[in-house]
Amino acid sequence: MHNEGEANHRKVVRSQLRILRGCLAGAAAVVVATFCAFRLNLNLSTSGSLYFLIVVMVAVVWGFWEASVTSLIAVNCLNYFFVPPVLTWRVSDPQNWVALATFEITALTVSRLSTRAQGQARAEARQRAELEKLYELSRRILFLDRRQTIGPQIVSLIQDIFRTESVALFDAAQARLDATGSRADDLDELARSAYIQDSTLKGAGAHTWALVLRLGSKPVGAIALRGRELGRLTIESIASLAAIALERARSFEKESRAEAAHQTEQLRTAVLDALAHAFKTPLTAIRTASSGLLEAGRLSTDDTELAALIDEQAEHLNRLTSELLQMARIDAAEVMLRRERVSVLTLIEDVLARYSEQLHGRRLEVSDSASGLEVHGDRKILLAALEQFIDNASRYSTPGSPISVTAEENLGEVIIAIHNEGPPIRPADRERIFERFYRAEDTRHRAPGTGLGLSIAKKAAEAHGGRTWVVSEDPTGTTFYFALPRGARRQADAVARQDSDR
Amino acid sequence: MPSHGKILIVDDESSIRRALHNTLHGMGFDVDDASDGESALQFVREDKYDVVLLDINMPGIGGIRACREMRRSLPRLGILMLTVRDSEDDKVAALDAGADDYITKPFNIRELAARIRAAVRRSSASHVDPDAEIRIGNIELDPARRLVRKAGEPVHLTPKEFDMLRYLMTHAGLPITHARLLHAVWGPEYGGELEYLRTFVRQLRKKLEDDPAEPAYLLTDSHIGYRFAEAKSEPVEESA
Repeated sequence: MHNEGEANHRKVVRSQLRILRGCLAGAAAVVVATFCAFRLNLNLSTSGSLYFLIVVMVAVVWGFWEASVTSLIAVNCLNYFFVPPVLTWRVSDPQNWVALATFEITALTVSRLSTRAQGQARAEARQRAELEKLYELSRRILFLDRRQTIGPQIVSLIQDIFRTESVALFDAAQARLDATGSRADDLDELARSAYIQDSTLKGAGAHTWALVLRLGSKPVGAIALRGRELGRLTIESIASLAAIALERARSFEKESRAEAAHQTEQLRTAVLDALAHAFKTPLTAIRTASSGLLEAGRLSTDDTELAALIDEQAEHLNRLTSELLQMARIDAAEVMLRRERVSVLTLIEDVLARYSEQLHGRRLEVSDSASGLEVHGDRKILLAALEQFIDNASRYSTPGSPISVTAEENLGEVIIAIHNEGPPIRPADRERIFERFYRAEDTRHRAPGTGLGLSIAKKAAEAHGGRTWVVSEDPTGTTFYFALPRGARRQADAVARQDSDR
Repeated sequence: MPSHGKILIVDDESSIRRALHNTLHGMGFDVDDASDGESALQFVREDKYDVVLLDINMPGIGGIRACREMRRSLPRLGILMLTVRDSEDDKVAALDAGADDYITKPFNIRELAARIRAAVRRSSASHVDPDAEIRIGNIELDPARRLVRKAGEPVHLTPKEFDMLRYLMTHAGLPITHARLLHAVWGPEYGGELEYLRTFVRQLRKKLEDDPAEPAYLLTDSHIGYRFAEAKSEPVEESA
């Protein structure tokens, strides 16, 4: 506290000097007035008024003590120069005491009034200055650099505008402390504890405060200030401006992150479409040529075998391309699902229609319970997922065995189950088959596949807030489950009844 | 070798034009090719084609506009659109623009050839009497008396079911979009009521198909609409 003592000492010296100056000025004024009045031969009452005026002026400009000294000198001058008999000093004259008392009382009253008026003016000036500074703060907060961290910018802005000794800001959401200025160490702690205790705290030392930053009633951090007398309202306003700045920064960050994600998604879609075109064109040419060779029927047996190989592999490559693109699209769809009301039965029928060639000769069972069920989802992505299950069932089941698809609602979920007969999936593989590119050991050589299919289905379910799992046992076979949160349901039945009534 | 028909291939990719040209020529078709919609329109104005294979995605006026222009001036021209998978909206747009059918790239040439032959047959067929009886597989439909028989046995249909079946059977082998079917059966103010269609198709299948879960006649075209199996494909025996 060495600094503070020295400052106080300097202050006392300054005010003593000021009083001395006031006294000297008053005395000088009295001397000048006396000289003029005496030379002009003014009478007693006129010169008395003149002295009175001087005392009032000194009281207004300097204060009581200066005015007292001035009035003492003035009374003596009046006595000596103007009270008859002039140029004599009469201590016992009662006029003397009356004049002195009048001057003193006037000095006291005027100086009091003047001090109060000056005090008020000073307070107003300070308030105006603080208001201007607050306005400047609010204006400059709008221009903070949004790409930089906001905390350090806020504290240095407050420091800069309010000329405080130090400022500390605690951002609760990021658990971040920013401080600026000298002796800021304990301010950090003060700001943090203000936030934790959720109340305004007075710190050690003069003019040290910590306030909680709130948005509405929710505390979002705290600010601590030291080193300058600021009105309570001003401090509170600084706190609310800081809170708004933090929130603005946060929402801007959220917004720009969403914007960036959106742009990435658009770019990805554009790149995928271009890629799809770029891959599909040569594949189409290859398949046309290979299947054309086979169709022309002019090849030897060996040639036919080779042409068939080209044809098969071109088709495999096509499948791989489609699935990779699908996977990438579903990755992107986590950002943007094009949701609509989708009838589960239509979905199943569409997939079965698409796979009709591959499923040729198989018995397909679709449960009636699927009728009227609806989910709220992205039709293309759900379709892609179901296709993978049907495709999987047709590849890994006992050839010619039936495949059944059922759908039902259970505990707020629509669960689609795809069942096939055939050897069970090994327990160790049951989780891993949903991983990208994973193919179970024993199927790798048995059936062609890309290892992407089930991971697409899983991704698709997750993108919709749903899930997938598998139950596989020896005699019964394998059932894949695809569960989605329920949408609206049951309204198709009414239409059917309407027509059959006719 | 007598020509099986005259075909115009329209695709902006030269590799696809080359592959298709040689393969189809080898299979006995007369083939010309164009690399964009504008020159394709020029070709069909100057020469008579049975079928046009039209790529949807092309620079310039594009496949769908070219299709609309061709259909306007040549109502009997067979138009087959070449599309990629996952572009169902394009397929519907193409069918709405007047295309007869579509095929998805990359395709097997045998499937393409079958579609082309069907299109050639249709475009060269003489005008049919709207009241003539239609027989596909073991399904018979008599438009004049509004009667339907399956394997000789009468099948009772509601009026809307009959209208829907008649529309699909008179366009057998071709994909009919949901909107077109709704327009034709329910009237022009309908178009988005897919649940109607789904319900009626299910009922029709129950009445006509041996196994409604695996339809042989009333086929679903995913996202697009429905198509009735073609006359010559003998669907009953095939699915057995």
